[in-house]
Amino acid sequence: MSIFEGLRFRPGKSFIHRIDPRVKLSISIFILSLAAIYVDIIVLTLLISVEAFTVARAGVLRLWLRTLRGSIYLALLVFIITLVTRLLPGGPLAESLGYAVTYTYRLVVFLTSFSLFFLTTTPEEIALTLSRLRIPYEYIFAFVSAIRFTPVLADEMRSIMDAQRSRGLELDRGRLLSRVRKLIPVLIPLLVNVLRRSYELAEAMEVKCFGASKKRTYLRDLNIKPSDYAILAAAITLFATAIYLRVMGYAPLQILTGLELFNGM
Amino acid sequence: MQAIVFDGVSYVYPSGVRALKDVSFTVERGELVVLMGENGSGKTTILKHLNGLLKPTSGKVFVDGLDTSKYTVAQLATHAGLVFQNAENMFFESTVWDEVAFALKNFGYSDDVVRKRVDWALRFFDLERYAGQSPFTLSGGEKKRLAFAVVLAWSPPIIALDEPTIGQDSLQKEKMLHMIRLLNTQGHTVIMASHDVEFVADLRPRIIAISSGSIVADGPADEILPDTEILRRCSLHPPQLALLMARLRDLGMPRKLVDVDTAARLLVERLRP
Amino acid sequence: MKVIEVRGLSFTYSGQDKPSLRDINFEVGEGEFVLISGPSGGGKSTLCRCINGLIPHFYEGELRGEVYVDGLPTSKTPTHILSQHVGMVFQNPQNQLFSLNVESDVAFALENLGLPREEIRDRVDEALALMGIEDLADRSPVELSGGQQQKVALASILALRPKVIMLDEPTSFLDPMSAMNLVELVDRLRRKLGLTILMVEHRIDLIAPRADRLAVIYEGQILYDGPPRDFFEKYDGHLYGVSVPKLARLSKEMARHLEWPGVILDIDEFERVVRLIAGHRL
Repeated sequence: MSIFEGLRFRPGKSFIHRIDPRVKLSISIFILSLAAIYVDIIVLTLLISVEAFTVARAGVLRLWLRTLRGSIYLALLVFIITLVTRLLPGGPLAESLGYAVTYTYRLVVFLTSFSLFFLTTTPEEIALTLSRLRIPYEYIFAFVSAIRFTPVLADEMRSIMDAQRSRGLELDRGRLLSRVRKLIPVLIPLLVNVLRRSYELAEAMEVKCFGASKKRTYLRDLNIKPSDYAILAAAITLFATAIYLRVMGYAPLQILTGLELFNGM
Repeated sequence: MQAIVFDGVSYVYPSGVRALKDVSFTVERGELVVLMGENGSGKTTILKHLNGLLKPTSGKVFVDGLDTSKYTVAQLATHAGLVFQNAENMFFESTVWDEVAFALKNFGYSDDVVRKRVDWALRFFDLERYAGQSPFTLSGGEKKRLAFAVVLAWSPPIIALDEPTIGQDSLQKEKMLHMIRLLNTQGHTVIMASHDVEFVADLRPRIIAISSGSIVADGPADEILPDTEILRRCSLHPPQLALLMARLRDLGMPRKLVDVDTAARLLVERLRP
Repeated sequence: MKVIEVRGLSFTYSGQDKPSLRDINFEVGEGEFVLISGPSGGGKSTLCRCINGLIPHFYEGELRGEVYVDGLPTSKTPTHILSQHVGMVFQNPQNQLFSLNVESDVAFALENLGLPREEIRDRVDEALALMGIEDLADRSPVELSGGQQQKVALASILALRPKVIMLDEPTSFLDPMSAMNLVELVDRLRRKLGLTILMVEHRIDLIAPRADRLAVIYEGQILYDGPPRDFFEKYDGHLYGVSVPKLARLSKEMARHLEWPGVILDIDEFERVVRLIAGHRL
């Protein structure tokens, strides 16, 4: 589960935290796009350095590293698959290794590209970003509710498990099939309680005028600051330059040329 | 032999919250004990130690002579039955009868014993007529009684109740009062968490008062409930009559827990011309 | 001036054959504090739902009779309009807070109504100040105690500026101190803002001394409607699922032996009367 570690809410007051979430979202998308078009170790290293630097400035480096560690198994899988699919048709070992390393590296950059956004943006800011992107409120409400009620449901699940264990249910004993069957006494009450809760929530939403106006307003809003524009402008310039260079065929250590390096060994 | 022994028990939740701090007490067999304190004071955490749902971070808990750190929940549950605060939201079987039989089957009783015990429990809690019905069709009070039946069916020597009176009306509370007294006179050790002072005043148990994970006082209700200082430390307020007696101390009213008849007798003696 | 008028109200939930309310007639004047009690399943919550329009707009069933709130017929007025006249606080604090921070929760209904941002800001600040929870504005509801959550729920209703506030067993999940704080706060707000309060509760001893009226709903009908003390004078409340405060029982016991002014529910008053009699004797 640690791959999702980065998606949690961590309040913070650093400079990075205060950047407008839309700007951070754009930067994350730029990083993802560049990782997609550059299969190049140097560019990928540059990208991941940018991430590491900003994340460190925001004081969430340790969390980010945990996200990295969480992606190890998936990365390993990609490495093996790439290596095998390159080697089997008779590809040279060095070249295949080169591909495997670069693809794996790229995957890691992919997986971490949104860390900057998710690690330094509160769910509330995400919701505001969505509303600014003109996503219908029903969807935003669903997103917010999911985050709001996840801890509540987790507590409820724990207390149901405790109650059923007190009635002699041994969840961690027996064979797989019987273990699955043992989940019924936990899942049915959980489901019934979720239904009851949704009914109560719906009732409360009704008296709080949910859906009353087609033009819902928002008390809190995102305020884009001059510094945000500056950061965005810088990011766009860098991104555009990178795209231009790629289109023109420049790449400092592009995979195919880079492979000659391997071959030379 | 003691029914429950807490020996220097501390408990720290994985989140780092210190819920119990060096808690020690002993409950003799057949005692009726109420843990009192505000929400979050540690009452439920203590109850969850009785059947091993929680094991002490440091210190020891003995239940019926068993060191809880050495036994599983299923093993301890036959000694200490725990009725959760919202136990009525934990039903899952298709009939009331099966709901009561569930635990008995888990504990490996023979079919014959299961049948006898279920029938006994349903009779005791006045639920016989619903035996074949779905638990979800019962009224609030009936569900609460079923929640008790579900645990009492295996007749654990120690019964632990977590806030049994929450959200209950006066009729249901009265039934509960009788039931708790009856179980206690039948020899069960009853330990209950509650902040319902009037209910506890009627029950007149031994009280263990708790505040932020530590025991503040331990003694008979007669002494604890009129003690405004102890209650204040536990964020509770005294029962009406105890408060009245305290205010009329200068007229010779006693510093102890009194029932309506005693209070009336004392006041009338003092006021009659 | 009547702010709530219920005439000949009967209601049967669809799918049930027994009516939950039968021929209810009930009026509440502006600024009154009415305590509603009675056994579980007697119809208390159903009456509340009829008053705030959840019946018939949210719950289906067979409705007869008329309900007017602030002059509006509930069956013909949409709930979001009614909610601005009569607010509702529910039993479970968890299930009426939807947002990730307190301020957004207080703003929730106003945002749904599409009010201008400046007005929402004013009303939210006012509601938070009235409840004395300005310091909680940025906290997440998950981190709050039950008592704090219930205050947020009440603030979110106050922000709608209703004339009437209904509370359906608001203290069930609270410990005694938090319950007392909430009830005192509601009473203070009523005096300050001239609100009308309808509170469904089992904790009679806590609320009866502050309430103008007690309405006991038993098996779908109004068994009693009048001053709280007279109910305990005339009925054995316990038989009707109303817990009898110890002071009421003691009063009745006193009256058997002494010249005693009937049922007293307020402890200050009880003390005064005892001292008065004791003084006479001297």
